Amino acid sequence: MKNSEESQSHFAHKSEEDFAKILDFYQIRWEYEPHAFPIAWDKKGNVIERFTPDFYLPEMDLYIELTTLKQKLVTKKNRKVRLLRELYPQINLKIFYGKDYRTLLMKYGIEGEASNR
Amino acid sequence: MNSDIEEIVFDEAALQQRVREIAEEINEEYQGKALLLVGILKGCMYFLADLIRHLTIPISLDFMSISTYGFSTEKTGVVRILKDLEKPIENQHVLIVEDIVDTGLTLGYLLKMLKERAPLSLRVCALLDKSSYRIMRVPLDYRGFELGRRFVVGYGLDYQERYRHLPFVCVLKKEICPL
Repeated sequence: MKNSEESQSHFAHKSEEDFAKILDFYQIRWEYEPHAFPIAWDKKGNVIERFTPDFYLPEMDLYIELTTLKQKLVTKKNRKVRLLRELYPQINLKIFYGKDYRTLLMKYGIEGEASNR
Repeated sequence: MNSDIEEIVFDEAALQQRVREIAEEINEEYQGKALLLVGILKGCMYFLADLIRHLTIPISLDFMSISTYGFSTEKTGVVRILKDLEKPIENQHVLIVEDIVDTGLTLGYLLKMLKERAPLSLRVCALLDKSSYRIMRVPLDYRGFELGRRFVVGYGLDYQERYRHLPFVCVLKKEICPL
């Protein structure tokens, strides 16, 4: 598990690395993919599907999922998110979809040029 | 400029009406007190200018500006103050004035920092709330409008430093701003 204490962590996607940098900038502690929540089981009770949110922010008790995928894959991910919320209603999860995430990147000056809003 | 606009989200009349309403709330709740309004640059300026013209309580003004991640000279650094308050705020009633609150990261940082300066009270007034983007829980004591997920400009808000001067809040055409 990677977290804000480590430098030069390796992420699955560039978007996750950028997001971690923004959190570091604001001195927000984070953990990268610390928990995998089972969301589907077979008839014998074996876990057949898990959902692993990208980040956990312990100070806020908040999970963050970044979705920069194509719509077809977003639909698949939305199903996982819906299951997670049904099975673990106590979990706080925030999803940033592609457009939302691009807006954030622009705001923080990572993609294109935006100002200090 | 108008040809860049897709849709006006909050027109002048709606903005001015809501600003008046917020000012009335502030007048009532700070009655008999002096208030220091702290504007967060640059986006606050139109909202703040209109707001204070409706305030009847004794006020003073100050401004702050803090660095934004991608615009910092050191990409591995942390947030820092570009312009600090000119005077101490100890034992004063302080109201932070923001144009928009989304993730709450900037505001959360400011609140933490200003609380350490021991104000008598510290509250927040934001014109627009993009609550679906919230990461850090921050209290919005006065809120103009919930914005949803739209990216807007005007009335202080910019896109690449443009459109701040528009007297309304609007969405830009996709060919201008693809967000």
